[in-house]
Amino acid sequence: MSDDIAVGIDLGTSYSCVAVVPADGNPPTVLPNEWGERTHASVVSFLEDGTVLVGNDAKKNIITNAENTVYSAKRLIGRFFFSDEVKKAQAVMPYQIVEGANNSVRVGVKDKVFAVPEISALVLKEMKAIAETALGREVHKAVVTCPAYFNDNQRQATKDAGRIAGLEVLRIINEPTAAALAYGFGRDISQKICVYDLGGGTFDVSILEIGKDVFEVLSTAGDTYLGGDDFDDRIMTWLADDFLARHGLDLRQNKFCLQMLKEAGERAKIEVGRDGVADIKVPGICQSPEGEVLDMVQRLTGDQFNRMVMDLVQRTFKVCDEALQSARLTAGDVDAVILVGGPTRLPIIRNSVRHYFQREPMTGVDPDEVVALGASIQARALLSTQAAEQGQASYLLDVTPLTLRVGTVGGFTEAIIDKNTPIPIEKSKTFTTSRDGQDRVRIRVYQGESNRSEGCETLGEFEFSGFRIGYRGEVQIQVTFEIDSNGIVNVSATDLETGQKTSTTISLSSGLTENDLQKAMDDNAAVELSRGPRAA
Amino acid sequence: MDAQFLIEVEALAATIDQLDYFGVLRLPQSATPGEIKAAYYRESRTYHPDRYAAVDSAELRELIGRIYRRVNEAYTILRDDRKRLRYVADIGGPDRDRKLRFTEVEEAQVKEEQKKKIEEQFGQTPNGRKFYAAALVELQAGRWDGAERALRSALMYEPGNAKFKEQLAAVQSETEKTRPKGDYRIK
Repeated sequence: MSDDIAVGIDLGTSYSCVAVVPADGNPPTVLPNEWGERTHASVVSFLEDGTVLVGNDAKKNIITNAENTVYSAKRLIGRFFFSDEVKKAQAVMPYQIVEGANNSVRVGVKDKVFAVPEISALVLKEMKAIAETALGREVHKAVVTCPAYFNDNQRQATKDAGRIAGLEVLRIINEPTAAALAYGFGRDISQKICVYDLGGGTFDVSILEIGKDVFEVLSTAGDTYLGGDDFDDRIMTWLADDFLARHGLDLRQNKFCLQMLKEAGERAKIEVGRDGVADIKVPGICQSPEGEVLDMVQRLTGDQFNRMVMDLVQRTFKVCDEALQSARLTAGDVDAVILVGGPTRLPIIRNSVRHYFQREPMTGVDPDEVVALGASIQARALLSTQAAEQGQASYLLDVTPLTLRVGTVGGFTEAIIDKNTPIPIEKSKTFTTSRDGQDRVRIRVYQGESNRSEGCETLGEFEFSGFRIGYRGEVQIQVTFEIDSNGIVNVSATDLETGQKTSTTISLSSGLTENDLQKAMDDNAAVELSRGPRAA
Repeated sequence: MDAQFLIEVEALAATIDQLDYFGVLRLPQSATPGEIKAAYYRESRTYHPDRYAAVDSAELRELIGRIYRRVNEAYTILRDDRKRLRYVADIGGPDRDRKLRFTEVEEAQVKEEQKKKIEEQFGQTPNGRKFYAAALVELQAGRWDGAERALRSALMYEPGNAKFKEQLAAVQSETEKTRPKGDYRIK
């Protein structure tokens, strides 16, 4: 279909953005909503009338409708209920986080329970609606981005979110790679570039070598527990400690106060980055036991702020070191540095990046929009019917961020596919039966850099059956591990002697079953997005 | 798409299991790292799945995927000097047909061999290693008798270790040299 269209969606922790490459060959462009907003808070608020509000208006409800307003869902996506990140979220989020089947995470809102991809799907549904309104036509296909350092569970869950929202996800691409694509180097000389991507909740670094039409990712490293939110947290802690010292009241004990505090923290961070100083004023943040209404008034200077977050900034450069080392480069070999993500607007980040790489970072494309723009370029490329004959304008050669492993005896793991291996890729390994008459073989698959299983993320347990029965060691099962272009892992097995594919069942997976997905799609389709009159 | 290309893709996908990594990247075994990268880019331009993402034929996409996964595999091994060396040795040997794809077993063997080398260098038992390390310290300091004692202790734990014996002989000849002529040892 020549009039087919696909959008690029940056599904962020804090903000999301949707972009498209127009059919007339014009450059990629961000699609704004009816009010001209170009980025949209990744916040989903469930209203009294049963409709769902998504975006910057929903963000206002974090305080007024706290229990029914879900934000930062990306921090939870594809995680197990027992993970530290989920425990941490439970402590600070005003909405309910509960345990679902197979150690999965569910979000409880009113009398309903949602899987995390269902929440993200509502954000995607809004992005889809924004695109459809802006373009005046239906949109069914998209490229969705995720942090480069996302593991298989998180990628699969992101893809599920797209499907639930009624989108055919043409590809999951890595945010830093998308950003590089948006900058569109593509001259004849080859350049090495570094993408420094500090988002709301995650930090990624990718080192790329870019030739005329090839974007080769040499290495990627990241921290899925480090983002702009952590900078807000530092300000919050400082404000709360100070308030505690002055008034003897801990604002963190009350979820309502905590939200006001959080909002004040985020605002102060933006102000201090822009103006060098922030005057924080939150009237009536709480009431003393005597019934006195207390205000919070504080001034945050640039120096104070820099000291508060210095260790976080330093952590990002540890990750840079790691990425450069994997690429066998030094900071001096890098020809250009791209900044991605809202927090990279902060002077402390810009100055530190400049100092580390000894060069001025590039900021030509808005750091909040660059990822969505890159995704839209890839979306357009994947729809191109002429590409087969004439070639693509650019090829993304991306890598897997984490080592794929299988569990061995005694809690150890063995590497199957190393991190920074180009994808798509496959690797086979032969397993044998260990007992006479054994009719099934079970393997556990992990991702991570530890040779101990507890130091890695569990992807799932695969059970193969339906092979020949024989004496132990006699039956050989060849298991093929494939990582596809989305960075998603597929495992299959064949009986080496008969060549028969064995059947595979996956247990201990955080993902949704096909049945869950179907139901989620129906539920999502039934949801009405709130388009009500807008408060000033 | 021209029929010629389809035939090529089918033929390549069917025979890819008989090609070594140099064959996959259409390179001579003498290729430099720069040539390997250039070949990888060239094959990526031809066989990158994104190029055929909008093609209707699922069969063609499957063939392209099979080829491209092998292109990535070839590049992964050949860009790594250590793995490349090992691989070239493998495909030059009698087991060539079984070793066209770099496998875990080979990697495990490499590790095993490295471990063996280190062990031969420094001893196979914890105590052997401990005394041998002590001997090296003594040697550095020029205390020949101390070195001799440590090496004898090490040999008690590993009587067969050739490296230890060799060192001991060297140390003994040194002590022999430094011992003053005319033997008046004080009792």
